[in-house]
Amino acid sequence: MAYLFQLIISGVVVGSIYALSALGFVLIYKSSRVLNIAHGQIIATGAFITYALTVWAGIPIYISFPISMVLTFFLAMSVERIFLRRLIGEPIISVIMVTIGLMSILDGLIYLTPFGTENFSFPPFLPTTPIAFAGVSISWTQMVGVIVTFTMIGAFSWFFKKSTLGISMRAVSDDQLASMSIGISVPKVFGLAWAMAGLSAAAAGGIIGNITGLNFDTLHAFGIVVFPVVILGGLDSILGAVVAGIIMGLIQQFASGYLDGNWGLNGTGEVMPYIILLIILLFKPHGLFGIHEIERV
Amino acid sequence: MKMNRVTSWMFLLAAVSMVTLPVHALAKEYKLGLSLAITGPTSDAGNPYSKGVEDYFQFVNDTKMLGEDTINCTIRDDQYNNDITKRNFEDFLDQGIVFYLNYSTGSTLALKKDFEEEKMPVIPASFHAGNLVDSNYIFLPIASYSAQAIGLAEYVVKNHKEGTPKVAMFIHPSAFGRGPVEDLQKAVGAGLKMEIVEVVEHGKDLDNTAMLQRLVSKGVQYVISQTVQSPVATMLKDASSLGLVAKSFGEAGKITFLGCHYTGGNDLVALAGPAAESFYWTTSYIVTNEPSPGATAQLDLAKKYNRDEKAANSHNYANGMMVAQVATEVIKRCKAKGKEVTKENLYEELQAMNGDKAFSPGTTVGPVTYSKTDHAGVDSLQLYIVKGGVFKSTGTPFVPEYTKKI
Repeated sequence: MAYLFQLIISGVVVGSIYALSALGFVLIYKSSRVLNIAHGQIIATGAFITYALTVWAGIPIYISFPISMVLTFFLAMSVERIFLRRLIGEPIISVIMVTIGLMSILDGLIYLTPFGTENFSFPPFLPTTPIAFAGVSISWTQMVGVIVTFTMIGAFSWFFKKSTLGISMRAVSDDQLASMSIGISVPKVFGLAWAMAGLSAAAAGGIIGNITGLNFDTLHAFGIVVFPVVILGGLDSILGAVVAGIIMGLIQQFASGYLDGNWGLNGTGEVMPYIILLIILLFKPHGLFGIHEIERV
Repeated sequence: MKMNRVTSWMFLLAAVSMVTLPVHALAKEYKLGLSLAITGPTSDAGNPYSKGVEDYFQFVNDTKMLGEDTINCTIRDDQYNNDITKRNFEDFLDQGIVFYLNYSTGSTLALKKDFEEEKMPVIPASFHAGNLVDSNYIFLPIASYSAQAIGLAEYVVKNHKEGTPKVAMFIHPSAFGRGPVEDLQKAVGAGLKMEIVEVVEHGKDLDNTAMLQRLVSKGVQYVISQTVQSPVATMLKDASSLGLVAKSFGEAGKITFLGCHYTGGNDLVALAGPAAESFYWTTSYIVTNEPSPGATAQLDLAKKYNRDEKAANSHNYANGMMVAQVATEVIKRCKAKGKEVTKENLYEELQAMNGDKAFSPGTTVGPVTYSKTDHAGVDSLQLYIVKGGVFKSTGTPFVPEYTKKI
């Protein structure tokens, strides 16, 4: 029984980190209908900024972590301003192609730094003894990751539901022309969406980097790893990202815990989320919480 | 008067030409090529490797190790992409290379036929035993991954206290990772008394709890890894937080973690931090935190060419430096015999590198030996253990016994 509970706890931990990583996709898609292919690179950048501030500048990590989120907030905003602002009104596929180009540019820039080809790890700052209860354990790194994830997801949910700016962003997502007609600045909304995605990416990068160590390949791969989470959640739903993230995390852990090593099976934890994704999409093609838009002619 | 001055200048020019021309006419440039991942996946290993190669050849030229002759090794980034590697190799052929240095397992296997067709001697950074199957021109610098895994397994069997040790393998999902699995199974079949309970192919895991607890529930006490550092670091961190890392070798109810060449080194400690303590690692290379002539030579070379401390102390820098040492040595031997430095003659010299002609580069724990039937360079392995955040030797260099029995 303890084994089952351990898998559930691990699944929720991994799933919530997936959800946080997926949040950046959702925030940008929610306001601009664009899939940012360079999101993994922004996750890595956030992690590296946190490391540089902590180790090279000597700032304590509990201060450097929020600073890096703020820096990545402005960095992502600048990226939108420089590369994407001019593409407002252009076909979505053009914008997605630009994000692919952006991915290559960020890759190239990171490879110019030591972070591109070297491995690092954050200095230990949390207790190494895990929290254990009734045979189930969770490390402090994972626990802090879950707390940060749910705090951020809660804050973003409140922002989109209650704040004027959040409601403006939802309005832009719904209809850009109508939003402009009531005085909402669409470019500002896009900039803010990218900035908030940068903020969440830095948080995700910091947490993943703490778990896996700082390796550029590992970090930027999470931009792709969380893709099924984004699709399953429904692309533009924060709640969808959370639920899909946790579902994927649980499927991975259960598959790895119960299928791998039995009946000649191996690596099912990697494959099962995609199989479940395909099955769910057969019945819910817009994802679990995606909006099914009906066009009336 | 004017005519005289012109004549004098021409005389002088002719005299200078007569003195210098023969030297330049005799000086030769030997072209080599290296294609590897300086950026992209595995560039954490490829980057210091390329620096080791570059610095050593620069050193050869600067110190006139080959007299007036020089080595011109073109180093190109292939971003771990086989197509780019192939293109680079073809470009190198057009340049007239006499020796080729390759990198990944995938590209070495993919280009095996090309190496055969071109009759080009090749040393890759991949130690995959499969590189040598149906190949005449590939030479592994050190013992294969299979030999390394068997060496670790032999250590487990010799030092396990009660009953038959239960072992799991934690491998990269590729030819690179899968390479030693079959050979280790063959060694067990040939009498190595251990049980391979499970072979785990890892993914981009954020949490290995399920896998580790499953292994413990099956009685696994040893995990032998054949992959790169990052997934091993995550596994070690998870095992550490679950309290599963054995504090002494073979501690009952816990897991002792061991790994082949590319799982270890300073990068593992950098990634896993304190969780890397008590990790066992085998390779044929020396480490720089233990004084030796090879370590001094490695650190001096890195210092001479202004490399940072991280690159200087990397076992992948030693790896790159060592293959450049071998290439230089065969060129020297070719020249000493008065033979022309061609790919054919270098191939012959490589295969003659045995017995009293074995080569000791200093950067490895044993000599490099090749013959017509043996294309694995350094046969000896050294076992290291992480103590206080650094890899320390444990025991003396050894040659796995079961590699000859399978």
